[in-house]
Amino acid sequence: MSRLGVFICHCGENISRTVDVERVAAEAARISGVAFATDYKYMCSDPGQTLLKNTIREQRLSHVVVAACSPRMHEKTFRKAVESAGINPFLCEMANIREHCSWVHEDREEATAKASGIVAMMVERVKQNRALPTITVPVTKRSLIIGGGIAGIQAALDIADAGHQVVLVEREPSIGGHMAQLSETFPTLDCSQCIMTPKMVDVANHPNIRLYTYAEIELVEGYIGNFQVTIRKKARSVDEDKCTGCGICTTKCPQKKIPNKFDQNLGMRSAIYVPFPQAVPNTPVIDRENCTMFKTGKCGVCQKVCGPGAIDYTQQDQLIIEPVGAIVVATGFDLYSIDKKPGNSPYDGYGEFGYGTIPDVIDGLTFERLASASGPTGGRILRPSDGREPKQVVFIQCVGSRAREKGISYCSKICCMYTAKQSMLYHHKMHDGQAYVFFMDARVPGKNYDEFWRRAIEDEEAVYIRGMVSRLYQKGDKVMVMGSDIAVGVQVEIEADLVVLATAVMPQPGADLLAQKLGISYDKYNFYSEAHAKLRPVECATAGIFLAGACQGPKDIPESVSQASAAAAKVMTLFARDTMEREPIVARVRENTCVGCFACKKVCAYGAIEEKEIRDRQGNLIRKVAYVNPGVCGGCGTCQATCPSKSIELEGYTDEQIVAMIEAL
Amino acid sequence: MTAKRKLNYAYYPGCSLHASANEYDLSTRALFDALNIGLQEIPDWFCCGATPAHNVDELLSLSLCAKNIDMAEKVAPEMAVACASCFSRMKFTHHILSKNETKRRQVEKAIDAPVTLSGDVKHILDILARDFGLKQLAKAVKKPLQGLKVACYYGCLLTRPPEVPKLDDCEAPTIMEDLLHTAGAETVQWTHRMECCGANFTLSRPAVVIQLTNAILESARAAGADCIMVGCPLCHGNLDIRQEEIENKHRTSYRLPVLYITQLLGLAAGLPAEKLGLDSQMVDPRPLLKSKGLI
Repeated sequence: MSRLGVFICHCGENISRTVDVERVAAEAARISGVAFATDYKYMCSDPGQTLLKNTIREQRLSHVVVAACSPRMHEKTFRKAVESAGINPFLCEMANIREHCSWVHEDREEATAKASGIVAMMVERVKQNRALPTITVPVTKRSLIIGGGIAGIQAALDIADAGHQVVLVEREPSIGGHMAQLSETFPTLDCSQCIMTPKMVDVANHPNIRLYTYAEIELVEGYIGNFQVTIRKKARSVDEDKCTGCGICTTKCPQKKIPNKFDQNLGMRSAIYVPFPQAVPNTPVIDRENCTMFKTGKCGVCQKVCGPGAIDYTQQDQLIIEPVGAIVVATGFDLYSIDKKPGNSPYDGYGEFGYGTIPDVIDGLTFERLASASGPTGGRILRPSDGREPKQVVFIQCVGSRAREKGISYCSKICCMYTAKQSMLYHHKMHDGQAYVFFMDARVPGKNYDEFWRRAIEDEEAVYIRGMVSRLYQKGDKVMVMGSDIAVGVQVEIEADLVVLATAVMPQPGADLLAQKLGISYDKYNFYSEAHAKLRPVECATAGIFLAGACQGPKDIPESVSQASAAAAKVMTLFARDTMEREPIVARVRENTCVGCFACKKVCAYGAIEEKEIRDRQGNLIRKVAYVNPGVCGGCGTCQATCPSKSIELEGYTDEQIVAMIEAL
Repeated sequence: MTAKRKLNYAYYPGCSLHASANEYDLSTRALFDALNIGLQEIPDWFCCGATPAHNVDELLSLSLCAKNIDMAEKVAPEMAVACASCFSRMKFTHHILSKNETKRRQVEKAIDAPVTLSGDVKHILDILARDFGLKQLAKAVKKPLQGLKVACYYGCLLTRPPEVPKLDDCEAPTIMEDLLHTAGAETVQWTHRMECCGANFTLSRPAVVIQLTNAILESARAAGADCIMVGCPLCHGNLDIRQEEIENKHRTSYRLPVLYITQLLGLAAGLPAEKLGLDSQMVDPRPLLKSKGLI
């Protein structure tokens, strides 16, 4: 006979405000099999857990129900507590009377009745729980990093330096990400290339890092400690082992008029190219869409001039399978464009700014390429339209950001600082020029950040205008900026030579598709969701997958680097042991009724179902039945719902338990 | 008569079209008749409240429009509005009452009738370009407006705010240009087609209006336009009636005729000048139209 203990938590006032916890405890005490029921202010606190443990011993309890918050919050806490008091942890269940009850109801009477019902159901369910042994699985001490920007590079170097193998996958032909595009970085104005390229070289030379550039994630299978990742290495058309990086192919390529994405399409590149001189690896890629050889079958210049014979037009995409134990997602960001959006887009463009048709209206990254010493103008700030030096530059902040009517309500966080920096860079290069900045608010918290912003105004003579811009239009060779100055209460009109828009930081295109491959959650903007906004900021809710950098939300360089190192630390914690424990909430097969139809095998998302042969004593095959590999099973219950002969059941969720729960109501 | 027509609308002229913008009313009726689009004036319609009501009393503003919409639904499923200001108020009422149950109940009590919002409210631009269609319109063109360079002026209310009228792209619409190209006219690219003319201030702050409208006229002239086309009697008032005052104030001469969409399309459809009210404008458009051989 079971001796059940029921513990009702007040959660401060979170539950007791709407639920009469004492009455729920009194009603629970009357349920058959319940030996003890009580309520307490904070069950998860140290005295709360001590109460739980002492009561288990004093009352000789066999099963426990804690009625409190969601099991996602504290199931682990309470199972650990009951285990230390000598009960198998899987004989403890949580009844969620907070998220499912007190938080969503107002009527005290009804909420109390519902809470009692939830508790009664969990009591009936836990009665039929079995004591389960924890499953241990080996940990593959290799990690996958997706994205080779500053966050991915930092995480890769940290993990590799700790002595673990790292697989780094980058979609573009070179690692470096957006940081490699920047000119100088706030708040110290050190050159981005100078601090970034040594790290890129470290990645390339690190014995523990295997680098795949021009590659994408095709498929992710498995679970924490034991992922199988299929990587599509796109055909580079250049043999990486033979290529010496001499660059003669790129200089001889006759097709030279292709806008270079790395230079925000300001500069031109050839069809066979390295995106920028400091690229890692320094191995060119043939852009097959623009290559004459691939388009017409006639050319082959690069192959003729290549000394080592590295050019291979027949190269195919390769699929590579890598086993890893942990994954760090660091796919970074992209910028909102003001162009007209297609009809199905959740965003609107900026028709009032000409939908991107005015050539001298550029975004922040384009300005970075203009200001960069390695950029298409060699660091001279020249207008895209006629190559003249702009004498009046208008910077506009919050374009797309904090604009609910345009579809984005969040703050992009980095723009206040980089706009201040860009106004300074402009002033440094053009002493007789004037920078204007339209801003809503200056959001510059951070070490030495406010000082930096003040410097832009006080020492570097940028004119800051608090207000919005309503319209941009071309007038002759000027861009007319119509705005408001709300501090003075007047309308402002500026004849600008160049307008720089601080457009919103958004996730990379396709971020949602990658999330679906990884099985991680993302918000309505496609930013990846952390497991807990405050206490688990670098972990995904999916075990074994971690987040670093701007793929989780807008971030500047120091923050991305910090988060990358934090994610690396989490990976190293996982790798500190050879095996890890898994929850034994897995499916099991009743072999004597299984007919071997393997409908379960077809629906299993984890590939956990195997075919098991049943043989007689002579070794003759009698029949085949399903077998669940407990190390792989994700405990989702899909097989249970599918099985036509009801021969497969999930631990803790058997049909008998579900029926008992319904009957308890 | 009306039953035989494919398209039929309950016509809401609004106050302006019965007074200062009489030629807009005249030309709308003439054009729709020529295109065989049914236009039945809502019996006993009254003011939509634009523009003072919604600034003073929201319930009054919503109720005025809701009552007119209610009466329109008894005439035809869809309401046709020519004035941009009336159109905006009607659309706003539709928008607010379909989203806000509380306000809807208040209005129902005020007008003593259920608010069904079963019919839609349409601007005549929408009816001409989409319901009637550009292809049909092309067939109806008897006298293409060849050689006429027009600056299409949208003003503020036809497309804004984006979630309410949904007539076209909020900041870069093309519906007027599409109609005029179909009628054979040229349109100019200019910078001030979406700017405000200062309609609400026309009597209270004329200095502001003169400054705003001067910028519009200047921009249209700089773009090489022969005339300006509008779909709003308030814009028309500011650009046409005040043009001489603007010219005097800024010591310049524009002499830019300001024509309604229905006047220009009416000409293209072969209607005579007198049916389109071309004689009642302050800046006489007839010399220009004569020089282009259109009248």
